[in-house]
Amino acid sequence: MPLLRMENITKVFPGVVANDAVSFDLQAGEVHALVGENGAGKTTLMKILYGLYSPDEGGVFINDELTSINGPRDAIDKGIGMVHQHFMLVPVFSVLDNVILGEERSRITRAATEGGGDRGVAQKVLERVYLNKTDARARLTDLMERNQLSVDLDRPVRELPVGVQQRVEILKILYRGAQVLVFDEPTAVLTPQQVDGLFTTFKELKAQGKGIIFISHKLDEVLQVADRITVIRRGKVVETMAREGATKARIAELMVGKPVLLKVDNPPAEPGEEVLRVEHVTAQDDRGATVVSDLSLTVRAGEVVGIAGVEGNGQTELVRLIAEKEKLVSGDILLSGESIAAWDVRERREAGIAHIPEDRQRFGLLLPFTLADNMVLGRHHQAPFVGAFQWRNMRAVREFARVAIEEYDIRTPGETTPAHALSGGNQQKLIIAREMSADPRLLLASQPTRGVDIGATEFIYRQIVEAKVQGRAVLLVSADLDEILSLSDRILVMYKGQIVHEVSRSEATIEEIGFYMMGAGDGDGDQ
Amino acid sequence: MATATSRRETLLNILAPVIGFLAAIVILLIIVVIVGETPGNAIRAIIRIAFGNPSRTATIISTAIPLYIAGIAVAFAFQAGVFNIGVEGQYFVGGLVGAMAGIYLRLPPVIHIPVVVLAAMLGGALWATVPALLKVGRGVHEVITTIMFNNIAIYLMNYLVNKPLSGIETGESLEPQTRAIAETALFGRLNGFFQALGWRIGNHVYLDYSLIVALVFGIVTWIVIYKLRFGFEVRSIGEAIDVSRYAGIRVKRVQISAFLVSGALAGLIGLQEIFAIRGFYSYQIAAGLGFDGIAIALIGLNNPLGIVFSALLFSFLRQAGYGLQLYTSVPNSVSWVITGLMIIIIVVTNELMSRYVRNLRKKEVGV
Repeated sequence: MPLLRMENITKVFPGVVANDAVSFDLQAGEVHALVGENGAGKTTLMKILYGLYSPDEGGVFINDELTSINGPRDAIDKGIGMVHQHFMLVPVFSVLDNVILGEERSRITRAATEGGGDRGVAQKVLERVYLNKTDARARLTDLMERNQLSVDLDRPVRELPVGVQQRVEILKILYRGAQVLVFDEPTAVLTPQQVDGLFTTFKELKAQGKGIIFISHKLDEVLQVADRITVIRRGKVVETMAREGATKARIAELMVGKPVLLKVDNPPAEPGEEVLRVEHVTAQDDRGATVVSDLSLTVRAGEVVGIAGVEGNGQTELVRLIAEKEKLVSGDILLSGESIAAWDVRERREAGIAHIPEDRQRFGLLLPFTLADNMVLGRHHQAPFVGAFQWRNMRAVREFARVAIEEYDIRTPGETTPAHALSGGNQQKLIIAREMSADPRLLLASQPTRGVDIGATEFIYRQIVEAKVQGRAVLLVSADLDEILSLSDRILVMYKGQIVHEVSRSEATIEEIGFYMMGAGDGDGDQ
Repeated sequence: MATATSRRETLLNILAPVIGFLAAIVILLIIVVIVGETPGNAIRAIIRIAFGNPSRTATIISTAIPLYIAGIAVAFAFQAGVFNIGVEGQYFVGGLVGAMAGIYLRLPPVIHIPVVVLAAMLGGALWATVPALLKVGRGVHEVITTIMFNNIAIYLMNYLVNKPLSGIETGESLEPQTRAIAETALFGRLNGFFQALGWRIGNHVYLDYSLIVALVFGIVTWIVIYKLRFGFEVRSIGEAIDVSRYAGIRVKRVQISAFLVSGALAGLIGLQEIFAIRGFYSYQIAAGLGFDGIAIALIGLNNPLGIVFSALLFSFLRQAGYGLQLYTSVPNSVSWVITGLMIIIIVVTNELMSRYVRNLRKKEVGV
């Protein structure tokens, strides 16, 4: 008997069939991977499971019983828990507080009162008002032991590394009694070592008879951890297969309907003159902690320099130092030999720095604005986009956007569609189109394919290689080692604000880079 | 497809205030019944006060003028993500600076009137300067500073009209107010013009030069926000400050400018009362218009065109309150209750509709 069965789910939105008679089931003690491009219908299916949408046809069966799920709260009560890609945690709360948040009354007090006996009104009131954390702590400690998920319950969540925060998310749903655990791209934010830790947890959960739905773009991981794999494309299940016999190429082909070259055709670099020079730069964050420490690097025209590293080792800050006017404690940043440390963003952009930010929704796009407005953002003040009296020339803006939509294959009804209506991959294409069309000398690309489907990833890879071939300097920051290895000519490993290792692409191996990413074995690497 | 959704979006934007208004009227009628009047009487009273004769309709337009200017003043700052709660204080100061220019300068009317308008704007902008600099330079939240500056402005104005700028010493007045504004700076009325067009309004209604000021600045503000580069940067910052910074927009500069423009527009709010109605500046100048402006901007979706309707709506409800008081046993204060309810209903309806439109868009691209 399957733990969960979704049968012939159909969900139609005007103009598009998001799910077309999709059937999906999950056995107790298995990991079932759900793969597909962005917009293929995975999210819709999971939203139906989580009670955010109701299906037009078909039904959800839990333990073979037809069930209707009315919202996330109901889903949790019925044993379905979700670990979201972006964690749903309160940063200043302790781990314990985060776990019991929303459950503090119903279950804890219930547990506390199960002892029964005569209780006065005052005591009953007190039990409803007073947070009894002792029982919660005991239950959690037990859960942690059983699942080998150890976390310091009293630490504020914001002090914890991402991998540990994810553990808190898992504890949260286990605490609520989840039998079905949905993981939405859980490895996107993790280091290889942390990914191994997560997969160990998967095994523990399987052993306890839980079912896991694993949504991922990373086919290596899917093949490593899944028992069954369901590929979904254009709202339909293309195939559900056992892991045995499944290959990366086969899954990729099923996903996009055409064979994809995940290894891009990347000609060797022909480096020209030096474009970017970062000289002994030291910088601090708001709290005064050193985040970039005496760091030097150069990027020459016609080469891609990749920065590998676990997130939070200063990569974000390094890119910001180059893209934005941030305070330097010491050191200098030069663009083609000229110091830009005192320049603001506009001056840097006009000097030829383009930037694909790591969080496209927060830093890259004006989501409610039209695609056309977004396409010229940053150059909206230049001709031909403004004319006399600083009057915006919307005809030029739209025309420019139409050409770019065509050239960069952005899937949209038109240039006046707001950016928030585009899928993740198309939003990223929009940003790349904007940045590349500025004809930059230096391209800063931070996590350019995060949360983007395979089709768009391949496109973005080609664009980065194309930029290099055109003689631009490219600085690529990515948590995805495959990405770093397939695109970079030189690879720098960043750890605790410093470059700890440099290697050329031809000599690089994943193991070696992973080793330096963890601090060359200086003891506290594994979180 | 895109255009179909856009058209529906425009339609829904118009629909929200209509729903809010109708719901408010329904609630009004319920209250009327509770108070013991018949709904028919109440509706007749409202129609009579609003449309009983051309002068009454013109009065609605007249009282809408300062409300409209207050609305666009607040909206301009809102568009840039600046919460200028200080429009109130800015129009007190702007009004006084304008009045000073009207009292002490000796100029021919064609020059004097534009000069007092500019002086009022300058005064309003001046009063916004310190909160603007504190926000951008030191990160002090403008809601706090502008509220405090409102109080400073009120007491400063009281002091100034009682002492240094008082008209009492010169024998012109016994009330705490300034001397009379020069004839050359007073705002004349346009009633004759409207009468010539065949609109039979009385001479007592104030459809004065401030109507022209409101129209001109309404159009200019709309153009700046939606057609010029500055407005694009303002809207971009109001939408997402991080994105704007990454795109190279000089966020601080634009926010300061928007704050000052908002203050300058605020300076215009008092023109009608000072230059057309009173002819001097007084401690009794109408208070609260700055706060009305917040609600009016909200309902008008921060769009100078939408604010035309929300200002007229506010003005209409206020007149309706007088009508109820005059012709029925329903107290005037009911109209304030209704105005408040209407604001909430419209804001909620707007939010629901924009969610609906967002979903439509999603479906359109097929996510």
